[in-house]
Amino acid sequence: MSTLTKATTGRAKRPAKPITLVGVDVYIITENGIPAFDDYGAFKIEFVSNRGTKVWPGYVSEDLMMVNWYRCRFMATKAVTDADVDTFLTALSKKWKWSAAQKLWNYGDEAGFSKAY
Amino acid sequence: MGKHVITMLPGEGTGPEICEAVRRIIDHTGVEIVWEYEDIGLDCLDKYGTLLPEKTIKSIAKNKLAIKGPTTTPIGTGHKSANVTLRKMFDLYANVRPAKLIPVLKRPWDKIDILTFRENTEDSYAAIEHMVSDEVAQCLKVITWPGSYRIAEFAFKWAKANGRKKIQCVHKANIMKMTDGLFLEAFREVAKKHPEIEYGDIIVDNCSMQLVRNPGQFDCLVLPNLYGDILSDLCAGLVGGLGFAPGANIGDNCAIFEAVHGSAPKYAGMKKVNPSAVLLSGVMMLRWIGENAAADMIEKGMNKVLAEGKTLTYDAGGTASTDEYADAIIKAMK
Repeated sequence: MSTLTKATTGRAKRPAKPITLVGVDVYIITENGIPAFDDYGAFKIEFVSNRGTKVWPGYVSEDLMMVNWYRCRFMATKAVTDADVDTFLTALSKKWKWSAAQKLWNYGDEAGFSKAY
Repeated sequence: MGKHVITMLPGEGTGPEICEAVRRIIDHTGVEIVWEYEDIGLDCLDKYGTLLPEKTIKSIAKNKLAIKGPTTTPIGTGHKSANVTLRKMFDLYANVRPAKLIPVLKRPWDKIDILTFRENTEDSYAAIEHMVSDEVAQCLKVITWPGSYRIAEFAFKWAKANGRKKIQCVHKANIMKMTDGLFLEAFREVAKKHPEIEYGDIIVDNCSMQLVRNPGQFDCLVLPNLYGDILSDLCAGLVGGLGFAPGANIGDNCAIFEAVHGSAPKYAGMKKVNPSAVLLSGVMMLRWIGENAAADMIEKGMNKVLAEGKTLTYDAGGTASTDEYADAIIKAMK
């Protein structure tokens, strides 16, 4: 038995569901407050959160303490591929410093990502 | 003192009957309070389509002070917890939970008087979770320097104002060197500013064992969100369970006082549930607004009723109803 075979068969398997790419969470570092974004065509900003609390759109308490790291959720406006994500991140990098990006997938009908509070 | 305007959030299940008993007891102290009743929790879903209506948010934002009965978050419906939403919305970063021995409840220890200060807004509770493959779920544990610094600062200030002697930071920085390491580093930085309070740190697993073996050794504990959630309940269990466990969620400009227990819907309307946790939360609230005499009056009355042992609710070994217990406290306050 090859190592690869062992690695993929010698463990419990979760029933697979069809996976669809539906967006990207991008973690942006800025000292200039809540970021506002240009139109990126295939991806549209849905919300911005800071330390897990949604800070755009909608009400933000004046008391809320924010740090310089924002989770920015971009949802696809059409059917997209990994190549679209590459193009989008290249365009985003021209204006923003980001620490990480996480692709958002639906597994079957279920979102594989949490909402922000 | 002037009149206080306080948002009253009875919640659902047994919440309304508990909160009514508590309101009667607090009003009996003579403190002038205008209660603004607002809806929160499951019962709001049909009426407003949300667990936390806009009207309720506005009342809390205006009064900056609320007392809350228990609420339930439905599992698997996609509704966000009203409690967590309130904490995040008003940045109630300090969860304060005292655990003190209740005389009537027999426990194997002579002394327990522990204050837990749980960071309330970060850690694994930042709601950043992803299925990064169909087999792997990931949750980001977010610990920030300013978030860690301000909970430590809050704890030291509280300790100083209330005559506490020692604060320990609870962590797992030997393993989570970045996240818990940052929390511990901020704690130590703050501790240097308060030389009159003794400080130290303890690894969370050791702390859990020590709490069960010898809880009398602890004074104040500062914890990140997840350890705080778990160990504050452990402390409540040491002294008598959630029926006597008060709590406060406090930010720089707003404070919400609440019981820690659930809404016990199966007992709703039966008026048999112990209101002590919400009542003791009310006592914390009265102290927070400077009404110490009223707080003392309630505490003495409640301790007298518990010591007499004649009018106790079922969880404390008695048969009294919620209202009979409240009436006994009111009588004992005279």
